[in-house]
Amino acid sequence: MTNLTVWVLALPLLGFIILGLAGRALTRTGILTVALGTSGLAFLFAALGFLSMLGAPPTSPASGDQVFYTWVNSGIIGTIPGVPAGAASGGAPFTISFGLLFDPLSATMLMIVTGVGFLIHIYSAGYMEDDPGFWRFFAYMNFFLFAMALLVSADNFLFLLVGWALVGLASFLLIGFWYQRRSAVAAAQKALVINIIGDFSLMIAIFLIFKHFQTLNYFSDSNGNPGVFNQLPGNATHATLIIICLLLFLACAAKSAQLPLYMWLPDAMEGPTPVSALIHAATMVTAGVYLIARANQLFEFAPTALLIVAIIGGATALFAATIAVFQLDIKRVLAYSTISQLGYMFMGEGAHDYGAGIFHLTTHAYFKALLFLGAGAVIHALGGEQDMREMGGLRHRLKITFWTFLIAALAISGIPPLSGFWSKDEILSSLLAQATAVGGKTGAIFYLLWGIGLLTAGLTAFYMFRLVLGIFGGSYRGRGPVQHGHDDEEGEEEGLHGAQGRGGIYAIFEAPAIMTVPLIILAVLSAIGGLVGSFSLIGVTRWHPLAKFLDPVFSNPLWATMPVAVHAASLKVQWISTGLSVGLGLLGILGAWAIYRNGFQYKENKNPLYQLVFHKYYVDEILIAVLIDPLLWLGRTASRLLEGNVLDGGSQGVAWVFGRTGGMLRRLQTGYMRNYALAILLGVVLIIVYYAVRG
Amino acid sequence: MPIPISWYLIVSAFIFTIGVTGVLIRRNPLIIFMSIELMLNAVNLSFIAFSHYLDSVDGQMFVFLVLTVAAAEVVVGLAIIVSIFRTRRDIDVDDMNVLRG
Repeated sequence: MTNLTVWVLALPLLGFIILGLAGRALTRTGILTVALGTSGLAFLFAALGFLSMLGAPPTSPASGDQVFYTWVNSGIIGTIPGVPAGAASGGAPFTISFGLLFDPLSATMLMIVTGVGFLIHIYSAGYMEDDPGFWRFFAYMNFFLFAMALLVSADNFLFLLVGWALVGLASFLLIGFWYQRRSAVAAAQKALVINIIGDFSLMIAIFLIFKHFQTLNYFSDSNGNPGVFNQLPGNATHATLIIICLLLFLACAAKSAQLPLYMWLPDAMEGPTPVSALIHAATMVTAGVYLIARANQLFEFAPTALLIVAIIGGATALFAATIAVFQLDIKRVLAYSTISQLGYMFMGEGAHDYGAGIFHLTTHAYFKALLFLGAGAVIHALGGEQDMREMGGLRHRLKITFWTFLIAALAISGIPPLSGFWSKDEILSSLLAQATAVGGKTGAIFYLLWGIGLLTAGLTAFYMFRLVLGIFGGSYRGRGPVQHGHDDEEGEEEGLHGAQGRGGIYAIFEAPAIMTVPLIILAVLSAIGGLVGSFSLIGVTRWHPLAKFLDPVFSNPLWATMPVAVHAASLKVQWISTGLSVGLGLLGILGAWAIYRNGFQYKENKNPLYQLVFHKYYVDEILIAVLIDPLLWLGRTASRLLEGNVLDGGSQGVAWVFGRTGGMLRRLQTGYMRNYALAILLGVVLIIVYYAVRG
Repeated sequence: MPIPISWYLIVSAFIFTIGVTGVLIRRNPLIIFMSIELMLNAVNLSFIAFSHYLDSVDGQMFVFLVLTVAAAEVVVGLAIIVSIFRTRRDIDVDDMNVLRG
């Protein structure tokens, strides 16, 4: 097994540097050569590394660690007053080095990041063709790949944080890519601010980890100094571990758009559609799921934190799914769908089944990238239209997009044997297994989460098919592509097609091959990508290639001493869970079919409950009222009172006092010399009198 | 009988006061100049008196210095007065208050 990770990092970075410095001068072919070449080669290296790891699995967690240089090399930490010596490290020198860890988890993540990222790069070549910022776009995209690769392959928490922050920066740049639009800039700022909250939380967690473990490495380095995961629980108390884990999870919630901090993701739709695909599928939002999987041993020591992860995941899954049901903008439906699916991943991880979380992350990357790219193809064909009310009937015009989109929708709805079925049901059966095995209050919570998961599965199927039927079903409701100046064209088409008056649909054309080929590849992956997961359902036991592959990362030698044991789902449990979820999924599809069979129709609904969900639970409005308006008020008031009256008033008052004093004193300066002479005389007399009197 | 030094000093103070008063109350710059000369010479007188009384030449040397400076000062002062007269056609010091604050 060779560690090729450095090339996976270096190539996109190189592409970013070349495009960033010289992109403006390069021709279109040159830009594409650099961007696709670097990301494609990065994928090649990731795949080579992955294959070599398949051939020779790592012997120990850290055997794939490669240290490039030591950045900080301090003395012995244990001797610093006030810092307790670590239980195990006890006097080992503290070092921070730039190292890349190549283990099954990072190998899998790198495959997803570079693979899906590469396909999105290809697609973008068609999608962004007419954009004046072509080179800038690819520079940012390559930077995004680099940042994400750094995040998943860093071998210590510090460089994880570096990647974490760089990913946030890249998302800021790409969401605000069309910086002429006010809304895009606002969305980019929102994303950055919320991400910074997460970065801050991660930083505090890292400080705490440093304080209690005196190292930031995940695993032992080559000198045998133990890493964080080798010395658990160290001298940290249970409460401290829970705090660390909750801080880590808050960071994950910000990056992966979980409940308290999800608001940036729907707004991130302001970026170009390939960016949405990249953020939602391959990079960015997967970071949180990755971090919990990476820190699984830490979380195993803090089961309370893990339970909270599961609860938040479940709440988010249901919450976002209900919002998605009523959205009209096709990209927003997908955005809330992503939040909901991420909730699934956290639920799976919360049920100690990290493999299922990563598995769902993988399959989700395929079908969500496909959904976004398909939506992008629709938007591209319609000249920028994103509103479902203006679509319909496109199955005749966009055949490839329709079929690939349909496969993705079936996959996310959990219809066997497509990929989403395997991963989603693995999570659901893990939840049920956990619920049946644990019992008591925790068991009840897991039963509840399992129910939420099933309900969300039904909702997911419903809103996905509402979307599919809304875009492709029924007859066309729009007025043709926006960019073609539809006013003239409509008249012309009406003349051609008589009373139909919907001729605009004939101006809609399928995207070029450079965009449809990635769609087809992703559709194939969405269809069969789940087969690596689990066949145990139909009795073929021991077929868990992915789970087996990831096992070294998630198996913990200290498991025997864990407060909460991990329960694998039995065949019976899996069948019950799977049957119910597939049934609910089908029910959702049938429900959507029953309502939207003849095409999507939007009816104004005054029902307050409907309005509540339609307006996304008024979260943005509440945030504005509770947080933003008071802050703005505070700022304005401070600017008026503090800066205006106090600071400005103070300095103006000082000036006023001196001005007045001067105004009075200037009267002494009469301009008559004899007055001055008299003053001098009087002064001299005074001095003389003084000395005369004093003697 | 030699004249006591106090007499010289009284005369000197008297002349000095005349000079000061002239500077303060007269409006013609030429007269003011003369008053300044009176003040300088009153001081010269007291220097000489002290020089004789203390039997030292230091005071007389000061007098030479003061005379030289006074001559130079008169040259500059008269030039300024002539220059002012040329521009204003009037040398009443009460009108020279352009520097009033």
